[in-house]
Amino acid sequence: MSSLKELQDTFQRGILAGDDAILGEINDSDKEQRTVLFGVYRNAYVSRLAEILGNDYEQVHAYLGDSGFAKLVKSYIAANPSDQRSARWFGRHLPAFARDTAPFANHPEVGELAALEKALADAFDGQDAAPLSMATLATIPAEDWPRLTFTPHPTAIRLTFNTNAATIWSALKSETAPPKPTRLPEPQALVVWRQDYMARFRPLEAEEAMMWDEAAKGVRFSVLCEMVATFAGEDEAELRAATYLRGWVDLGMLAGCAVEPAKGQSPAGAGNRASVRPVSQ
Amino acid sequence: MNSEKPPYLGFGLGLRPQHYEEILFGSPAVDWFEVISENYMIPGGQPLHILDQIRERYPIVMHGVSLSIASTAPLDMDYLGALKKLAERVNPKWISDHLCWTGVHGVNLHDLLPVPYTQEALDHVVDRVSQVQDVLGRRLTLENVSSYVTFGQSEMTEWEFVSEVANRADCWLLFDVNNVYVSAFNHGFSTDEFLHGVPRDRVVQFHVAGHSHEESHIIDTHDHPVCDEVWDFYREAVTHFGPVSTMIERDDNIPPLAELVAELDHAREIAAEVQKRARLAAAE
Repeated sequence: MSSLKELQDTFQRGILAGDDAILGEINDSDKEQRTVLFGVYRNAYVSRLAEILGNDYEQVHAYLGDSGFAKLVKSYIAANPSDQRSARWFGRHLPAFARDTAPFANHPEVGELAALEKALADAFDGQDAAPLSMATLATIPAEDWPRLTFTPHPTAIRLTFNTNAATIWSALKSETAPPKPTRLPEPQALVVWRQDYMARFRPLEAEEAMMWDEAAKGVRFSVLCEMVATFAGEDEAELRAATYLRGWVDLGMLAGCAVEPAKGQSPAGAGNRASVRPVSQ
Repeated sequence: MNSEKPPYLGFGLGLRPQHYEEILFGSPAVDWFEVISENYMIPGGQPLHILDQIRERYPIVMHGVSLSIASTAPLDMDYLGALKKLAERVNPKWISDHLCWTGVHGVNLHDLLPVPYTQEALDHVVDRVSQVQDVLGRRLTLENVSSYVTFGQSEMTEWEFVSEVANRADCWLLFDVNNVYVSAFNHGFSTDEFLHGVPRDRVVQFHVAGHSHEESHIIDTHDHPVCDEVWDFYREAVTHFGPVSTMIERDDNIPPLAELVAELDHAREIAAEVQKRARLAAAE
């Protein structure tokens, strides 16, 4: 008699690998053969995971159509046995899988479309944080502004697309015909985040994307202004930087700010994030 | 450990996102809600925010699908930690999961897989339930699952196995009326034998649900209204166990909330009728 451990190993192989050894352990019923009865578990595994992926990647499904999506899903399920307690995370490798696996790899918009849907899902139930408000920023004394640093909202995810996947997503979401897939002349920067319990995204122009990426690293405002000046000219660089910042605050893309201590003010020295004075919300 | 018997809550429904708005703005006649624990084991966002609001108005019960209590893989302490953390936030009336396994070797098959009814499996499950109860600091409630196969090595009936687990591990039982009906049909046993075979004082909840009939077997799909045969068995269960918190499970083809509330009213009518008859019988 198989031990419980051996029996479970055999049962699982029967589902995952189609191994029939399990049929030696189970009975026919009065009404049905064991192959059909065990088939209920085999079928349920694939159909349940396919349903999960269909819910998680609605626009990829809409873009590929039923048969194309079924192919993607079938090969993904075969290559990625679920290792997660919650089905919520089963599809997390799908963007990379679509990007790297033929024939989908030949259509880079598919992997990017999946990456956008995954980022939106991750932002939707990502960590909570109150957004940084203009009222909080208004409390910062003018002399502290050069030393101000910013924290992105914890749900913020930066993506870089080489195709028009974001436009395709928007068309599919509004149930209109998507444009033809194209490779963009320049990579497109996007930020995905959650505002008022809604996951959303917006494309960033190159200069704003540069400033966002540097701000996310904790670079202080005076240095951000210098970077913006270097990027597209000194003329009104501070105004441009302030305009981007204002947009991020209005859209709830930031969760906080802090004033770095002035040089000599703290023995830890300026730039030490641990010594940064957070500004209360 | 909190070993107090869970309270009688009346008639509840599974909390599903499709009904969030109607629940928050319509105050439907539902006594309590059962949530799928894993759906709220997430960092933050709207689902947890809504759950916080609903739990202020309705009692909540947490129902898991991946504890994998009968698996021979080690207990997943990260999962248990997350479950406990959610319980601290939600303050559920009880926490349930299934008497089954869901995978081994780090794989989750996202299904409620059957156990052979052997002494070895019994000892294993009893030991695991005790460990989980120690971690959670409360008694667990375990549900009988629908199954499609039986094992040649089984040494006892399902109800004997379920009863032994409950008595030895000192846990509660969620008596799934539909699952007993489905398994009885699939394996050719009598629903009455199961009903009378489990300890009455351990049963703290009923599940009632719809299923898909495939002629030679029934699949527990939770995508149909409850059928007459299951309602008949529910009537027998209420007659036998007395008032037990009852909940209708619907996981697919989810209808408008009003339809489920109407089904719940049917359960209320059956329970009221059974109680009335019992009172009349007692008075005679």
